[in-house]
Amino acid sequence: MKNILEVKNLNKKYADFTLKNVSFTLPTGMIMGFIGENGAGKTTTIKAILNIITDYTGEINIMGLNNKTNDQKIKENIGVVLDDMFFPEVLKAQDINQIMKSIYTSWDEELFQNYLKQFNLPLKKAIKTFSKGMRKKLEIATALAHHPQLLILDEPTSGLDPVARAEVIEIFQNFIQNEKCSILLSSHQTTDLEHIADYITFINKGQIILSATCDEILNHYAIVRCTAAEFKKIKPEDYLKYRQEKYNYELLITNKKSFKQKYTTEVIDKITLDDLMVLMIKGVK
Amino acid sequence: MWGFIKKDFAMIKSNWLIVLILFILYAYLGLTDKMEISFILPFMSVVLMLSTFNYDEFNKWDAYAATLPNGRKNGVRAKYVATFLIVFLISLFTIAMALIIAYTKSTTIDYVNIFGLIGATFISTILVQSLMYPIIYMFGITKARIAIFVIVFVIAIAGGMLLKLIDFSHFTKVTAFLSHYALIIFPLIVLLLLYGSYKISLKIATKKNF
Repeated sequence: MKNILEVKNLNKKYADFTLKNVSFTLPTGMIMGFIGENGAGKTTTIKAILNIITDYTGEINIMGLNNKTNDQKIKENIGVVLDDMFFPEVLKAQDINQIMKSIYTSWDEELFQNYLKQFNLPLKKAIKTFSKGMRKKLEIATALAHHPQLLILDEPTSGLDPVARAEVIEIFQNFIQNEKCSILLSSHQTTDLEHIADYITFINKGQIILSATCDEILNHYAIVRCTAAEFKKIKPEDYLKYRQEKYNYELLITNKKSFKQKYTTEVIDKITLDDLMVLMIKGVK
Repeated sequence: MWGFIKKDFAMIKSNWLIVLILFILYAYLGLTDKMEISFILPFMSVVLMLSTFNYDEFNKWDAYAATLPNGRKNGVRAKYVATFLIVFLISLFTIAMALIIAYTKSTTIDYVNIFGLIGATFISTILVQSLMYPIIYMFGITKARIAIFVIVFVIAIAGGMLLKLIDFSHFTKVTAFLSHYALIIFPLIVLLLLYGSYKISLKIATKKNF
């Protein structure tokens, strides 16, 4: 199976927001970082992939199967963490184990217990006594404990301290060691994505504006910082967006090498995903 | 489906102390003749099941349930099965209580009366919940409370008016037939209603966006 997830021409209309022709593919064995500002359409896209919303148009295939007609088979093989907390807070981790045992045919009780130990989560305490980070960890443990092939995670590291985040990222990296497993990961923690993502898909105002490998973005894209006089000398076709700062200009370029050959004086800085997001959203052309 | 039923029972179990106090209170009121014991059934089962809907909505469980294998269907099915199980268990408790009351008061145990009364309450409880659940699935528990109030009010008014307007002496054959076959007819009607209600709830839940 070449692609574990294929989203084709996904459209969904709300009164104040529209998802327009969202298309991207996640190759098997890869991690895709799904980025965009708040309200850009990340959660709506994830909800459509998971059939949490149903009245959308377009085609979504997971593991080569249509997500609407093969719901049960697909969901046996995916692990999910949603943006909002979702476990009833009167339940305990041991209740979650009992519940999931009857829901997933491949539920691995031992693996779940191991994750609980690793995350220092108590078995017999009500979830309402957990911190936000502990709740997220419980959700992650639950998403992983039935040996899914695909993890769909909406802000899984939000609320986690740096140590816990590193721990979770390591778990995701171990998960991906099995070449059949893949992750779609929506996150605002772009530094984490720079470390683990193979692909980045960037959504803005309901439209995909970039979907490429992380290496391609970090190696070829760059920020040029220059004065107003220098900016005037640069041809518009040589940059994607620009932003006027107080004392200089910031330009987003997509081909560092060819830019260097054309222009010699400007400062070319390495790009981060944060820079990319800001310039793509706030920049103009 | 059993996973969802376990969830509902685990949520109910988390409030075991309140449930126990209520049961003791009702038992006391029944034993001291301050209240008809059979009223425990509708009240307790409705309260217990509505609390599970409340927890689900408050914690946005339904959106997550939709991501589980057959989650929407099993979620709805589990609510109906859990309801039936709870009503059944409380019925057993009520029968036991009624027998204890009769025994402690050294009165003759009128089995027909006890089973008849609790059976009627069982049926009406299932009926009320069959009416409520599609409304809850449609509007969510918070908004459904108002809708349920309006519907129950309309039914009560309509029923009251019908009882006033209809002279049942014209239908003696019908009432005789109904009372003769009540044990078959009413459970059958209730089962059909429950099934119809489940089908409507399922249709709403499978199309719902979270």
